Amino acid sequence: MAKFFKRLFAWWDGATLGTLLQIARKGTKIGSDDYGNTYFEEKGSGYDGRKRRWVTYKGYADASRVPSEWHGWLHHMFDAPPTVAPTAHYAWEKQHRPNMTGTVHAYKPKGSLDRGGKRDRVLGDYEAWKPDA
Amino acid sequence: MTELLQDKDRIFQNLYGLKDHRLDASRERGAWYGTSAMIEQGRDWIIGQVKASGLRGRGGAGFPTGLKWSFMPKEVGARPHYLVVNADESEPGSCKDRDILRHDPHLLIEGCLIASFAMQAHACYIYVRGEYIQERNRLQAAIDEAYAAGLVGKNASGTGWDFDIYMHHGAGAYICGEETALLESLEGKKGQPRLKPPFPAGAGLYGCPTTVNNVESIAVVPTILRRGVDWWTQFGRDNNKGTKVFSISGHVNKPCNIEEALSIPMKTLLEEYAGGVRGGWDNLKCVIPGGSSVPLLPKEICDTVLMDFDALREHQSGLGTAAVIVMDNSTDVIKAIARLSYFYKHESCGQCTPCREGTGWMWRVMERMVRGDAETAEIDMLLDVSKQVEGHTICALGDAAAWPIQGLIRHFRHEIEDRIDNYRAGKPVFVPVAAE
Amino acid sequence: MTMSDLRKINIDGTEYEVPAEYTLMQACEEAAGVEIPRFCYHERLSVAGNCRMCLVEWVGAPKPQASCALQVKDLRPNRDGTPANILTNSETVKKAREGVMEFLLINHPLDCPICDQAGECDLQDQAMAYGRDFSRFEENKRAVDDKFMGPLVNTIMTRCIQCTRCVRFITEVAGVEEIGMANRGEDAEITTYLEKSLTSELSGNVIDLCPVGALTSKPYAFNARPWELESVESIDVMDAVGSNIRIDSKSGQVLRILPIINEEVNEEWISDKTRFVWDGLTRQRLDKPYIRENGKLRAAGWDEALALAADKLKGGPSRIAAIAGDLMDAESMKALKDLMTSLGVRNLDCRQDGSVVGGGPRQDYLLNTTIAGLEDADAVLIIGANPRLEAPLVNARIRKGWLHGDMAVGLLGEAVDLTYNYDHLGAGSSDLTKFMKSTKGFAKTFKAAKRPVIIIGQSVLTGDNAPALLRRVGEFAKKSGVVTPGWNGFNVLHTAASRVAGLDMGFLPGEGGVGTAGIISKAEAGELDTVYLLGADEIDSDFGNAFVIYQGSHGDNGAHSADLILPGAAYTEKYGLYTNTEGRVQAANIAVPLKGDAKEDWAIIRALSAHCDRVLPYDSLDQLREKLFADHPVFAGLGHAPGAQGAEDFDPAKMGKAGDLADYNFAVSVREFYLTNPIARASKVMAECAALSDITPLVEAAE
Repeated sequence: MAKFFKRLFAWWDGATLGTLLQIARKGTKIGSDDYGNTYFEEKGSGYDGRKRRWVTYKGYADASRVPSEWHGWLHHMFDAPPTVAPTAHYAWEKQHRPNMTGTVHAYKPKGSLDRGGKRDRVLGDYEAWKPDA
Repeated sequence: MTELLQDKDRIFQNLYGLKDHRLDASRERGAWYGTSAMIEQGRDWIIGQVKASGLRGRGGAGFPTGLKWSFMPKEVGARPHYLVVNADESEPGSCKDRDILRHDPHLLIEGCLIASFAMQAHACYIYVRGEYIQERNRLQAAIDEAYAAGLVGKNASGTGWDFDIYMHHGAGAYICGEETALLESLEGKKGQPRLKPPFPAGAGLYGCPTTVNNVESIAVVPTILRRGVDWWTQFGRDNNKGTKVFSISGHVNKPCNIEEALSIPMKTLLEEYAGGVRGGWDNLKCVIPGGSSVPLLPKEICDTVLMDFDALREHQSGLGTAAVIVMDNSTDVIKAIARLSYFYKHESCGQCTPCREGTGWMWRVMERMVRGDAETAEIDMLLDVSKQVEGHTICALGDAAAWPIQGLIRHFRHEIEDRIDNYRAGKPVFVPVAAE
Repeated sequence: MTMSDLRKINIDGTEYEVPAEYTLMQACEEAAGVEIPRFCYHERLSVAGNCRMCLVEWVGAPKPQASCALQVKDLRPNRDGTPANILTNSETVKKAREGVMEFLLINHPLDCPICDQAGECDLQDQAMAYGRDFSRFEENKRAVDDKFMGPLVNTIMTRCIQCTRCVRFITEVAGVEEIGMANRGEDAEITTYLEKSLTSELSGNVIDLCPVGALTSKPYAFNARPWELESVESIDVMDAVGSNIRIDSKSGQVLRILPIINEEVNEEWISDKTRFVWDGLTRQRLDKPYIRENGKLRAAGWDEALALAADKLKGGPSRIAAIAGDLMDAESMKALKDLMTSLGVRNLDCRQDGSVVGGGPRQDYLLNTTIAGLEDADAVLIIGANPRLEAPLVNARIRKGWLHGDMAVGLLGEAVDLTYNYDHLGAGSSDLTKFMKSTKGFAKTFKAAKRPVIIIGQSVLTGDNAPALLRRVGEFAKKSGVVTPGWNGFNVLHTAASRVAGLDMGFLPGEGGVGTAGIISKAEAGELDTVYLLGADEIDSDFGNAFVIYQGSHGDNGAHSADLILPGAAYTEKYGLYTNTEGRVQAANIAVPLKGDAKEDWAIIRALSAHCDRVLPYDSLDQLREKLFADHPVFAGLGHAPGAQGAEDFDPAKMGKAGDLADYNFAVSVREFYLTNPIARASKVMAECAALSDITPLVEAAE
């Protein structure tokens, strides 16, 4: 029962039922990415010649979890989705990584207390004399 | 037909080295005759005679020699006076001084004594070009002879005037032919021109009053004094009096040095003495009339032009050292001027900005123009750059580098344009007219 | 200058009267106020006239004229007798400048974004003002190999525009012919010939002189942009010259030190030690108080440290001593002296090297001729000094006088290269006696001289023979006309920035007190309980069992032997007055904040006085200065050097002591130029310089 209510209202963890219903009515599924997010496009003619495009997240709803090729399609930078026209991937490209802020994997700069508090030398620093050194 | 100079009126009787160059033989030709009598007439008389003769400097600029001498202080102050003779003859095409040095050195030494006396200098330095080895040896031998005969040294020629003469051998830099760079080099420094003023007559060698004269200017003085101003002034037009050694080179049948009266028509000079232009007068393309640093003249002008300072200046060229470089129709004139540009780029001393940077730039553009690999608009740019160099430098080397290019563009612009068009059309760049 | 020396000249349509020996550039700038662009011209160097940027039009002349070289007296008036017309802004001039600018830029790399000079580059500024906004140059640019000029001067020779300022500076001012132009034409390069380090103590000035980024500062490279820096005008303390400097800092760190012009002191130059010592300001810093416990120093709080110090100062005044060091400001010395006096302590000294000058009138221990006045001297006798290392700028002045005038120089002491010719009169005291009696050679010149000068170095003012020697030199000076009314040629060349101020305020042994040597021997003999070292680091002693309080900025000799360390400020971190060797009082300013828990030196002593229950009567630096000026009025004459003032009262009977002079050789007081004080010893750059200067020069190749 709790699961059902969660499905109904909790938009932050997967789409709500209302949304899914709406998308199912008006959209067609285009594909999904490695994270399991699903992408849809409007069936109708759209607004001003542009069909609306949606993503439903698998798990936590965070826009940075959309990989770049789907991001481009979602924002109408490409006409064809990556399923049709896959973007080229190079050896030097890194794997897409969602924003880690707020997680334990968040970036900690040098000098952060979480990394031992030791930072690089900056202007204004000085070497203190140490006795008996 | 102009009357040619007769042998008896030639000052340099041994210009070709056919006779003995030593003292006794020189004396027979008239050198050292009546020297002490001339000196006894006093320095004012000597300077007056040289002024009256209208002798103009033979080194390139054509500045009146007598006037130059009169710039020296009238009385010797705390600092001694010096005479320096510029025998650093490095101008491409010019080879008159070397023949004087090796075949008639005694005329020069006698001239040094008279000029030094007139300027109250007890010492004279002759700065000989580094490449002139035989000339140096001959000159030194002649100086030694003169010392041995008491003609120079203490009580020179019995006049009571103490006079020492030194030969200095340069290291072969073109810029050391510029008078102040020559003085720097003579002092043992790097040969770079000095700023003027002060002029050498005020502060020259070791900061002392100094006059710098060309070899020929000095060497003709004794004969002028001996034979009189009237004899000298019968040659040449007004303001361009006297005789001059012309060095004729290039596409003529018989390249030669020849002493002739000034104001002789160029055509006469080339045909009478140099055996005419290779392939006949009509095969002439252009002439550089005064050594590499003056603008060239195309055939139309050469047909009628007189060889003297003023006539050539009217045609925006100059007499320079009177080194006539003849080019016939087989010549790639653009390449010829590009080669001169390379010479000036190579010889620039690097002291002041326009010459240091400009000569290299002009040469590189010229090299492209030889191939035709340029824009038509770049011709005007090159002309503008040459104008930016001209007149903005410490010495005249910047001008000398700019003038040949200006002459080329003035008279042969169409050739450069054709070359560029041909290059774009993919045609061969230069089709030399079969010459030999 | 008489009126007849004035000439009329017409500049841009207005008539001016200017001195005949002015150059056109001077006439245009000083009389007409027109800016003339230039690269090669520099006021203090000979005229080269090679950049051709300063061309102006002389109406009627066939060519534009280089205004830096042409003098007004060489101008001919116009045909109708009106003064010559000079145009500085005509079309001809504009074209000439644009042309020269274009030529300079064709082979100049477009690397302003990575160039340290960018933002303060003459070429950049003048290209903006006088250049064209486009280039017509289509060929390849020239590249030049970089040259090695030592650890201080960085070279990027492709940027060089061959103005030869560096060549002229090194040859004329520095006096070492180590930079020159090799090759000719467009292959011309500025080079050090053999790619060895410059040996001049003034070499850093070529960085300021270079109008482009060809010569830049190696230690400062890529550290900051000029517009990011905060500048403060201050005074240098590396030697007793008191060079006027500008301290540039960013984010609280000093990043460079530049000279500012003071004609009477350093002209436009500073020594390499002054310029490059700044990296020593961030190393070996004392940033908290330390107390020695069981033989080990431990960090402590201020209250604890001051309480301990006060406790140690409570004993009998005769068992307490204080020595002031070389880099101290006058205010902190005054505060310490006041505190010690109120405690009854008489063992005070500001002469940690044991010098014997001081106590008498000022003219007995100053460089009375003044630094600028040395130029006018016609005979200079140097006794036991190496001015090249002890005060490079004084040496540069002597060289200037020697180069441009008829100055003759004699040296008594170790024969060293002073960058000018001198007569070496011997190395010891017997040679001095011989010289005083001699009437030949240099002695003859000296005794006949109109403005003779004697310069006494610190090395002969220390040791047992110093008082006798000082008396003799003084008597000789009086007798041979070195000191006459209006001319005082008796000079003491100091090496410590604080010394003259200390002598002026009498930071000297009081009635029954002992000086440095006495303090050391008494301490080692256990007759002293407490020794207070105010930045004194040059003393080679551990003071036996005495309790040593060290107050200073750097952990050096003083801190190592200390039992209590009070962290003070370096000269860039406090306001302070310094009196240079001429007796000129100058004020230094704060450029960067204090390090850690360190305090300003006078404030430490003021706080300590409260702990001692001897509260000093000032609560602020201003009040302290008021007290200083009231007690010692000489300090109020800021920027003024007394010179020959009071020369008529010169009395050698008050100097030193009469007595026999032993036969001995004079020592050298500065052997290692780059390591003379704790800040320099903390600097890596100075260490590198010292290591390079240690290399024995190659013996001249046998022929």
